[in-house]
Amino acid sequence: MSAVGDDHRAFLDATLPYLDVVYQVARHAAGDGQEPEDLVQETYLRAYAAFGSFRGGSMRAWLAAICLNAARSQARRRRARPWEAVARPLPEGVSPARGAEGEAEPDVADVVIAGLDAQAVSRCLAQLPEPQRVCIVLMDVAGYTAREVAELLGCPRSTVLARVHRGRRRLAGLLAGAGVSYGQP
Amino acid sequence: MDSHEAMLAGFLAGDLDPDEARRWDEHLLECERCWRAVREDRACRQAAALLREPAPPGLADRVAFAVELAAAGADGPAARRVRLRAGSSRLARLSAGWRLLAGAGMLAGAVAATLIALLFAGGSGTGRMPAAVAAVARYALAVPSAGREPPPPQNGRSAPAEVGRAVTLTAGGQQIVVRTWLLDGTEVVVAVSGRPFPMPAGALGAAGPGMAWSARLGKLGLYCVNGGTSELVAAPVPAAELAALAARLPPA
Repeated sequence: MSAVGDDHRAFLDATLPYLDVVYQVARHAAGDGQEPEDLVQETYLRAYAAFGSFRGGSMRAWLAAICLNAARSQARRRRARPWEAVARPLPEGVSPARGAEGEAEPDVADVVIAGLDAQAVSRCLAQLPEPQRVCIVLMDVAGYTAREVAELLGCPRSTVLARVHRGRRRLAGLLAGAGVSYGQP
Repeated sequence: MDSHEAMLAGFLAGDLDPDEARRWDEHLLECERCWRAVREDRACRQAAALLREPAPPGLADRVAFAVELAAAGADGPAARRVRLRAGSSRLARLSAGWRLLAGAGMLAGAVAATLIALLFAGGSGTGRMPAAVAAVARYALAVPSAGREPPPPQNGRSAPAEVGRAVTLTAGGQQIVVRTWLLDGTEVVVAVSGRPFPMPAGALGAAGPGMAWSARLGKLGLYCVNGGTSELVAAPVPAAELAALAARLPPA
């Protein structure tokens, strides 16, 4: 078996264990008209082409960065921003929960899990600003650490944590609104 | 950021040292605002976790196949022949895993390996097989078995039923969308590309826009019509029957 015959096998052995994580990123990075499975395939082809330049560190963070770049490239070709293209309006009758002055806002922890499904959560997530949405997808959906997210986005860890914290807070309001509307008898 | 938010941020980031963590726990017992914030944060993380979905079955095989194609296209004939022995054993494992041919996995692997040898080593005087055509042929050899009953025949003939989903391949710099159909009990692979499929040496017919060619690769028949959108059909039937088979499939 020649070294040339081994290189793609070594690449696949090193990267296929992270396929599931890359798929989580691709599902939320893929724009309209773009299948997540196609984006995953494109990610791995780009990663294979660049495998020689991988200098160590988090392999799964490296793959996520390639996935996000591939999504952006494809979106540019479609003249659409991938994260904004994912955004969908909230269902009618659902609005972010805002308490009147002096009134306690609904507690999202009481309503968010009961009665909400993944589609409703996805719609609320799509309303967040892109930087917050990206960080929440990477950390809370795909399971990356704050340090990995900082590495693949090229920003400080404190910035990632601030985006996640503000994003979760904003998401809490959106989910509470969706939960109250869905939860009403 | 006030002191509450600063401590909350540190707690959520896991950055509190033991003394800070102890003070934070004591603070939570007294501060409704921070306690509520922690609960909300935890609830949002749980809600986001609802969005996790496992990768679909077959995606790993598809990715591995695409990388293998890319690797096969990257080097010259000598390296390709070397990789052929490694690739054929891999394809034999893929074929066995996907139960392409009813029968022993070893037999399927041996047949697949022989056909791949014809594809890449130019056996039987066929010369070099163009990369895009080779990729479609390899896909046709590796496609999973349908595992489903064909739809009931209408007017004495069965209607085509698509198997699985369309797959995008890239070979020889050409992007190809491949779909698999079940027709009269036969799995037919249809590849569509915006560029013509080059005619292999030894094929019958003519290359060029609006022209058709056909070829044989072992038991696999190939039939191609090149045009604005080029279509290459691959199936284990005589090449002479492929044109009629292709005519019964939905338009690309």
